[in-house]
Amino acid sequence: MINFENVSKYALNNVSIHIPKGEIVGLIGASGAGKTTMIKLSCGLLAPESGRVYTLDKNPVLNRKLYKNNISTFIAGVPLLCHDDTVSQGFELIRNMYGIEKTEFHKRYEKLSEQLDFGKYESQSVKNLSLGQRMRAELGAALIYEPKLLLLDEPNVGLDENGKSVLCEILTERCKNGMTVLMTSHDMSGVSKMCGRIALLDGGKLVFYGSEDNLRSRYAPIDVMRVKICGNIPDFEDLPLKKYFVQGDILTLSYNSNHITSAEILKLILRQTSVSEVSIRKPSLESIISQLKKGGYYELY
Amino acid sequence: MKDVLHLIGMYTKTTAKSWFQYRVDAVLKSLAVFLREATGIIVIWFTLLKFDDLNGWNIYEMLFLFSLLFLTYGIMIIFFTGLRDFGSTVRSGNFDRFILRPRGLLFQIIFVNSDWFAALGHGGLGITLFLISAGKVGIRWNMYNAVYYIFTVAGGVLIQGAVFLFLATLNIYLLQTNSLKGLIYWNMRKFAGYPISIFHKAIQFFMIYVMPFAFVNYFPAQYLLRKDDMSDYPEIFMYLTPAVGIVMYLIAYLFWRFSIRFYKSSGN
Repeated sequence: MINFENVSKYALNNVSIHIPKGEIVGLIGASGAGKTTMIKLSCGLLAPESGRVYTLDKNPVLNRKLYKNNISTFIAGVPLLCHDDTVSQGFELIRNMYGIEKTEFHKRYEKLSEQLDFGKYESQSVKNLSLGQRMRAELGAALIYEPKLLLLDEPNVGLDENGKSVLCEILTERCKNGMTVLMTSHDMSGVSKMCGRIALLDGGKLVFYGSEDNLRSRYAPIDVMRVKICGNIPDFEDLPLKKYFVQGDILTLSYNSNHITSAEILKLILRQTSVSEVSIRKPSLESIISQLKKGGYYELY
Repeated sequence: MKDVLHLIGMYTKTTAKSWFQYRVDAVLKSLAVFLREATGIIVIWFTLLKFDDLNGWNIYEMLFLFSLLFLTYGIMIIFFTGLRDFGSTVRSGNFDRFILRPRGLLFQIIFVNSDWFAALGHGGLGITLFLISAGKVGIRWNMYNAVYYIFTVAGGVLIQGAVFLFLATLNIYLLQTNSLKGLIYWNMRKFAGYPISIFHKAIQFFMIYVMPFAFVNYFPAQYLLRKDDMSDYPEIFMYLTPAVGIVMYLIAYLFWRFSIRFYKSSGN
């Protein structure tokens, strides 16, 4: 869907990445790392200084025809709905601009306005809406013409928890039908929930690109298991544990999940004693990223 | 084609609605523009009370000259407000939105906004001056005159539109072009209210060949009024206004098409 070949532009320095069809890719990194630049390069608002960008196999800067039903871009600061219009007027304008048939459009509008819940203020003008309300309407506007590729820059800003999970639902469902999403976000739990792949940018370089599990097993493989035991403390001398400690009847074990699986440990414990409660905690994406940032990204290169 | 017309209709409805949302405000602002421009005329009126005429042009003929200038500007600004404000559109990032939509860029710029206050102020003044002067300058109105007048106004609109389009295009290369616009458009427009024959040759040259305001009002007025000072210029100039407008607009449009490929959005 999107192909970057040795692209340099502003902060970005020699980035190559391929984003396949039907995938939700989360673009993360500190402010100024070049996330928005990547989005703008993908939709053709920017041309690369060196290297090549292909979107749907075409150069997006020269092919403005791509925008028709193919790419939908949502960038903070580039609003899709006019300030003075009411929400429904804004959508009517979009319907006209993209030449969508009326009944079909209303079907989509009904569905989206119900999901994102902007139907109740559709007759208010956009400038009178709160940030969250506006975001919901704008996201609806970005989704309504069913693009093949959706580029989202910070879609979670201003959304409440319900909004975030609805967005996640919609994107996941759309991607099953073949839509591709490239989104930037600072909301790690959101990225973790919906993105099949994560692209991590630092200082203009792509330092990691792959699934979250991949990232975890490579850079933060330590899992923590808490077990509540009924009976005597089991013995695990020959297990490759990082450390363990006992506090009353609660046993806390940490171990490298690349070396041993939680199932194996649990099996061993159950053979020796009985257990009333188990919880396994993997490091969250957020903690992996902040941990990597503290340690510097050098080990990723 | 039908959906294009529909889209234009929608844009016009929205703009008109937003400009006239507060009625009193709209009336007062249009009136303010009207009065601001009219003061200049009143000053000239009082000056001419002392002099009788200016190189053979009496006060009513001067007003007729002014009426063409204001009328063409009033019509022009309905369509070209987006180009007048193109610099701020680019700087605010709104132009990016136009780019991301599947419609022509110039189409969107032209129809998304219209400065109706300027249109009513300038256009209203133009019509007022026309009504005051047209009966007193000895034009015998007939079919030919009327058709000539309509074409000439259209030509004048295109000439000024072309200048606006050209200056807007320069924004792609330079970030600020307002002072340039002040220099070659607004300053020359101050000269354009007078018969150009009173000026130094260098200014006349500028008004005919560089920023051709002379074709917006002076030469068309000469066709209708036939003053003596026309003998300084080729007679054909009186018929060229629509052609000058079309050619200038085409050149400006080609320059725009060529330049838009170099447009770059800001980073973040």
